[in-house]
Amino acid sequence: MNTLGNDIDPVTLEILWTRMTSVVDEAAATFVRTSFSTLVREANDYAVVLTDGRGRNIAQSSQSIPSFICTMPATIRHFIEVFGIDRMKPGDAFVTNDPWLGSGHLNDASLAMPIFRAGKVVGFAGVVSHLPDVGGRLRSPSNTELFEEGLQIPPSRLLNAGEPDPMLVSLIRANVRVPDETMGDLWAQIACCQTLGERLNTLLDEIDVDVDRFADEVIARTDTAMRQAISEAPDGVYRSVVENDGTAEIPGGVVRIPCKVTIKGDRVNVDYTGCTPQVNRAINTVYNYTFAYSAYALKAVFAPWIPNAEGSFMPITVTAPERSILNPIRPAPCSARGMIGHLLPPAIFAALAKAIPDRVQAAPGSPSNSFQISNMRPGHGAVVNGFIGAGQGASLARDGKSSISFPSNLSNTPIEVLESLVPIEVVHRGLRRGSGGAGKRRGGDGIAFEFKSRGEHPLRAAFLINRVRSPAQGLAGGQPGRAAVFKVNGRATESSVPRILHKGDVIHVESGGGGGFGKPPAKKTARKKAR
Amino acid sequence: MNTSRYEIAVDVGGTFTDGVLLDTGSDKVLVAKALTTPADPGEAVSTVVSDLLTQARTHFGPETPGGVRRVVHGTTLITNTLIERRGGRTALIVTKGTRDALDVARELRYDIYDLTIEYPVPLVPSEDRFEVEERLGPSGETWRRLTRAEIARIVKRIATAGYDAVAICLLHASANDGHERAIAKALVAKLPGTPISMSSEVAREIGEYERMSTVVANAYVQPMVGRYLAALVGRLSDLGLGATLDIMVSNGGFTTGQLASRTPIRLLESGPAGGVMSGINCAEVEGITRVLAFDMGGTTAKACVAVDGKPSITHSFEFGRVQRFKRGSGLPAIVPSIDLIEIGAGGGSLAALNALGLLQVGPQSAGAEPGPACYGQGGTEATVTDADLVLGYLDPDAFLGGRMKLDVAKARAALEAIGAKLGLNAEQAAWGVHDIVNEKMAAAARTHIAEKGLDARRFVMVTTGGAGPVHAVDVARRLRIGTILCPIASGVGSCLGFLAAPARADRSWSRVERVAELDFTDLRARAKAARAEIAGELRACGLTDRDIHWSGSAEMRYVGQGNSVKVDLGADWAGLDAAGIGRKFEAEYVRLFGRPVPGGIPEAITWRVIGESARTTRRYGLARSVTASAMLAPRQRRIYLPGEKTYRTVPSYDRYAVPLGTVLRGPLILAEPESTLIVSYPATVTVLDSATVRVELEGKS
Repeated sequence: MNTLGNDIDPVTLEILWTRMTSVVDEAAATFVRTSFSTLVREANDYAVVLTDGRGRNIAQSSQSIPSFICTMPATIRHFIEVFGIDRMKPGDAFVTNDPWLGSGHLNDASLAMPIFRAGKVVGFAGVVSHLPDVGGRLRSPSNTELFEEGLQIPPSRLLNAGEPDPMLVSLIRANVRVPDETMGDLWAQIACCQTLGERLNTLLDEIDVDVDRFADEVIARTDTAMRQAISEAPDGVYRSVVENDGTAEIPGGVVRIPCKVTIKGDRVNVDYTGCTPQVNRAINTVYNYTFAYSAYALKAVFAPWIPNAEGSFMPITVTAPERSILNPIRPAPCSARGMIGHLLPPAIFAALAKAIPDRVQAAPGSPSNSFQISNMRPGHGAVVNGFIGAGQGASLARDGKSSISFPSNLSNTPIEVLESLVPIEVVHRGLRRGSGGAGKRRGGDGIAFEFKSRGEHPLRAAFLINRVRSPAQGLAGGQPGRAAVFKVNGRATESSVPRILHKGDVIHVESGGGGGFGKPPAKKTARKKAR
Repeated sequence: MNTSRYEIAVDVGGTFTDGVLLDTGSDKVLVAKALTTPADPGEAVSTVVSDLLTQARTHFGPETPGGVRRVVHGTTLITNTLIERRGGRTALIVTKGTRDALDVARELRYDIYDLTIEYPVPLVPSEDRFEVEERLGPSGETWRRLTRAEIARIVKRIATAGYDAVAICLLHASANDGHERAIAKALVAKLPGTPISMSSEVAREIGEYERMSTVVANAYVQPMVGRYLAALVGRLSDLGLGATLDIMVSNGGFTTGQLASRTPIRLLESGPAGGVMSGINCAEVEGITRVLAFDMGGTTAKACVAVDGKPSITHSFEFGRVQRFKRGSGLPAIVPSIDLIEIGAGGGSLAALNALGLLQVGPQSAGAEPGPACYGQGGTEATVTDADLVLGYLDPDAFLGGRMKLDVAKARAALEAIGAKLGLNAEQAAWGVHDIVNEKMAAAARTHIAEKGLDARRFVMVTTGGAGPVHAVDVARRLRIGTILCPIASGVGSCLGFLAAPARADRSWSRVERVAELDFTDLRARAKAARAEIAGELRACGLTDRDIHWSGSAEMRYVGQGNSVKVDLGADWAGLDAAGIGRKFEAEYVRLFGRPVPGGIPEAITWRVIGESARTTRRYGLARSVTASAMLAPRQRRIYLPGEKTYRTVPSYDRYAVPLGTVLRGPLILAEPESTLIVSYPATVTVLDSATVRVELEGKS
């Protein structure tokens, strides 16, 4: 057994870090394999996190989408505050889906368990993931209050020294559409945390290290590396404004986000003062989520190679006015938060285009579009979540990729799988050619997707479609991508209202193209050159 | 004297083409090696085979060539053709509405934070894809008929444009192959000689993008593979061999040359599959059934688990990766393949400080040019080989059998340079590099084993590759594996595996159905049809129906889950019922994940039937090695002992000069031309009767 003193040598530190990261990724792989949630497995809509005894992030699963940057450690610190470290027992599991304490909408459950060693809490294992269902209305921007969006679970002790709380379990079961699957995912979260705890203990048997001390080291190193990367960019105040489709309540139907990025030495601040106030529609973006996507953009631009640990985000601050769409107060509905939150990376990229033009890209045709279809056939209920990517924005060096998910990372569902789950026929799924914005580099093309209901029983369907009114803007003189299209039976119509589909109804979606980068070459010269 | 008792194996690798000639009467082998000839790989094959035959005339008698009954072949040709995009001009026929499926792909980014990643380009461009009017539903029911006029129209278009190969992938063809067959039949009639690939034959699984990607890759390489194999048969007969040609495939078995040219995509991983089969064979000779095959070469390390002689098999594979070690950066192929993990860690892996000021090893590699600093070819950055040299694990005068002198001073200088940035001297930096690269390999192996619900401590490691034996003992120790085996002739390990591999054929079909609602009549009919096809294939490999060992499995999950669990169903499906299948699934689920899902409803997605011949366990011995009557006195070499954290002098033996049955005590070194076995911990080291070396670590198990 190696015992480490106060100073952990760099080789041992690297080895410990590799081990901790692989322990987390291993637990994450098992979690994904056992999950019932389409979003967990097709979309990596989860994060597994290992923290020290104070709830500071040491390692996070590497495949997770950006939504969960810094959220799980914050949730764990809320658990510590509510339940008290001294009153935690081995085998306790704490859970909440509170958007303000967790990751920004009720659909995600954050669950954590303390890791004990020699009778003392040395760390926490945490999992946050998108549940198969949380009750309420289907996820739709049209929800007007949080209470419509499903069951709220305030911070609760789901396991008390290994014993499930029967009242909480029956309460959850009674409030969701697919109780076995939803509870199945919560048990899978618990199994994942238990595995993490056991593996950390095995590791500490081999290399005895003070976990908090290890965390100090990891945090210091990631913090220093991030500061170094930021300080290489020119100081200054950089601004942009982005827009996306809002709802009818908002003047002009468009949400406006001014973005001011201030680089000063080795720190960076993003300020969204002036953004649209919070609305009574489910597109509000709770502050945690605003921070997560802002931090994602900055890390991708400055230092994508730094591991996702606490220190990577310490030099970053984000300001969003209270009661705004980027920092709403309770009980703002927020299930479709991605429609606005996913705009923040393009906003930051656009602002930084003047500072570091070679590192950014134009706006994508996303935020991701999605659909949710539930079968109303009695006794054979099924809910399908599907995603439709779009065109990526172009950058100085390359054309935007067509048909891609950005800034999230959501996979489509194979046509053959969709059709085996719900009675629809996919008529067409292909590229929407020419939809990317022109430029020195072209934006990527969006996707054209059309399906027809074949069910003898009606289907219930809800859609999240972006950029119908506000196409993706180009950068540095590049043209915008084409706007998105949503049609029912051949007629353009409002997408945000849940609807019933009868046999033969046809839904047609065209997702947006990405913005171009740089002035497009003049056509005449291009032709001359070609000859 | 038995006239046809010899077999030959040839493996065309990236750098070398290896060959082995086996006397099946005595299990003695001859080995040969030549540089691969990329422009015409068959040339090196001829060179190696004729070298083997020359040796055989001396060792086994002048009649040997006539006594060669078969040649088993494996090659990286398919992999390279796909990477270099040198395949045939291919047409793709798809269901109306899905022409862009290869461009749409799965919409995923394989690195979320890197905004500059590139994506693989589809093998068939948009203008070579053709839509047909027809439609099947998810259970294989016809939604829209495929008319004769439509078939005629598409055949005419393909014939007019002129293609080297055609791939067909229609929606739900995994449930019903009728439409694909009808089109294929018409194409064959119109275009005899043009290879036609059907998705329902090449990869009969649900998920149109992955199936399409697989069938396209198959068609793309088919013309070239067909020509190559035909030429190879010619070359072998020119050398006076009338032997049959068998081909090693990715699943660890072999098939006939003719079948291989119909589904060449199944050859993707033939070389590595041979390596794993060799490891399994070596362990089986010693009666060991749980194997972790560990191979480490110049740029990568590979590991694979096998239980009861059966390697772990995966059905999703990726080829043509844009970034070699990034999952998701390649194109998918659904082919049964040995489930290897590949890690960017080899002798050439570079040590560097990362952005966090920490020492990192690989995946960047110094390659062959300039190579490690100690090669003295201009490389100045420290590599794993440099570290191994400074630690005393490599003999500067005996590297590659003495063909290359290593420069210790240059290695030391490179390590000093990187150590200085970390406050470490050259020795400490060398151990740091060795420590980190071993931990990296152990971490990957640990995850691989845990994902299968297995316990590493119950496995025996079999190590191969140039750098494998140098690192194996320490990697095993990190995995708490107590026993390590090091087989003979690890430089031609894949070939030894080819000759011990069974004939094997797989069939699968997808149909998503709840277990309680299974249609057993249909299931048995499909299984029967699959068995008939497999039996046909295996008869072509020379088997009689009685020789075939059957096994089967189902991919299952709880309704609502997306990932499945492989449930073994054994050979006999006659007695299968819903309750029995449900129980088997639950048992396997509990084994993997600790507990069942209360109230969960089991469903089956994909069914698999496998037929294979019994494997012959081979006790390979070198025909040319002379058994030493007396062991030579060992040399003494100073090496680093991690347990004691210091350098000590230990004995170094010439492996092939140590008499069989000798028991030695580690720490020690066993040197051989292809590699060096480093035992840097207290251990019992035995040269077994099979000439395999066994290391049993002392202390913790």
